[in-house]
Amino acid sequence: MNKVLFFAHLRDAVGEEYLKVDASGKTVAELKADLAAQYDLPRMDTVMTAINEEFASNDEVIRDGDEIAFIPPVSGG
Amino acid sequence: MDERYSRQVLFPGIGKDGQAKIGEKHVLIIGAGALGSGNAEVLTRAGVGRITIIDRDYVEASNLQRQQLYTEEDVAEKLPKAAAAEKRLRAINSDVEIRAIIGDANPELLEELVTGVDVMIDATDNFETRMAMNDVSQKYKVPWIYGACVGSFGMSFSIIPGKTPCLNCLLRSIPLQGMTCDTGGIISPAVQMVIAHQTAEALKMLAEDWEAVRTSFVSFDLWRNQYTSLKMSKAKFAGCLSCGEERTYPYLDQENMMKTTVLCGRDTVQIRPSSAGEISLERLAGQLSSLGYTVKGNPYLVSVEMGPERMVIFQDGRALIHGTKDLTQAKSIYQRILG
Repeated sequence: MNKVLFFAHLRDAVGEEYLKVDASGKTVAELKADLAAQYDLPRMDTVMTAINEEFASNDEVIRDGDEIAFIPPVSGG
Repeated sequence: MDERYSRQVLFPGIGKDGQAKIGEKHVLIIGAGALGSGNAEVLTRAGVGRITIIDRDYVEASNLQRQQLYTEEDVAEKLPKAAAAEKRLRAINSDVEIRAIIGDANPELLEELVTGVDVMIDATDNFETRMAMNDVSQKYKVPWIYGACVGSFGMSFSIIPGKTPCLNCLLRSIPLQGMTCDTGGIISPAVQMVIAHQTAEALKMLAEDWEAVRTSFVSFDLWRNQYTSLKMSKAKFAGCLSCGEERTYPYLDQENMMKTTVLCGRDTVQIRPSSAGEISLERLAGQLSSLGYTVKGNPYLVSVEMGPERMVIFQDGRALIHGTKDLTQAKSIYQRILG
């Protein structure tokens, strides 16, 4: 299983701080696509992803037990 | 001078040498909104040698809740933010050479302004300018400090050419429909937290304590009590067009920029975003009407009243801003809503 954390407006869209999903074997891009479809999330392609608190690219493969975080870049200033 | 900066000199990370270095440096602050005001005030008080600050807007009542350099008088006089900031910063510290520019921080101007600059501070409200800053930083080898916030959420990352990944490594394209303070709201403490991260990084760089510069990407949510610090050692992208081997600095190229055109005889400006893509009109309409704007829409477009101007946004991100012929003002209205 994997713990998936959401930040900023993604958390509002999902309605939870985190979800438990089985994402092992999937790439980050695949997990993004799954979640976007399931929760009607706004554009996920430029959302930054961390695996175990380390920046991960869209083609990185998720392993069992990895903790994933989705951090949307915001533009306010 | 000694008395004025004595407490900062006592701090071991800076000391006498560090303070002398800070006093010789030049910082360029892009934007004089919430982050720009706060960064400028901290660095002016810290005794930076020269500060250049650029902004295209004027002071409005909705700025006063968080933009710490401005007063009700500035609102009444509709002073440009750069001019109001300059006045206040000079009153705070007359040792610092302040240059304020009222204008749009386009790539051409950024390339001109970066000469002799030691650090650039991101206080913009849109990713187009950030990507241009990022390219200018790589091309002229000047570090910059990314900072952004919305709601109670904020983030910061220090970008040092040749050392850290750059913003284009992380995003790979300009995010369309990013959350902005005009769509997601903003509380002042989130602004202050970003300013604290940016100015601490700036002081380290100006005092030349490069070892101390933070290499992680920090993000936090002050309302939900989250704080994360991401390791970025794997984030550098070899094929990056801004900092990789085959770099082209795409965001300095006019072709890749947002296009603004005045539509003749219609008191209207058309805006085409730099990156094509679909935006969710339904979501946008919902967000804007929940913020109290008068919104009308159909499956093809959203129309929103914004004071004397009206903006019509199409699904591909294109927009018409009615009620103005001023390109900079139109761009500012667009980016306030769409980031």
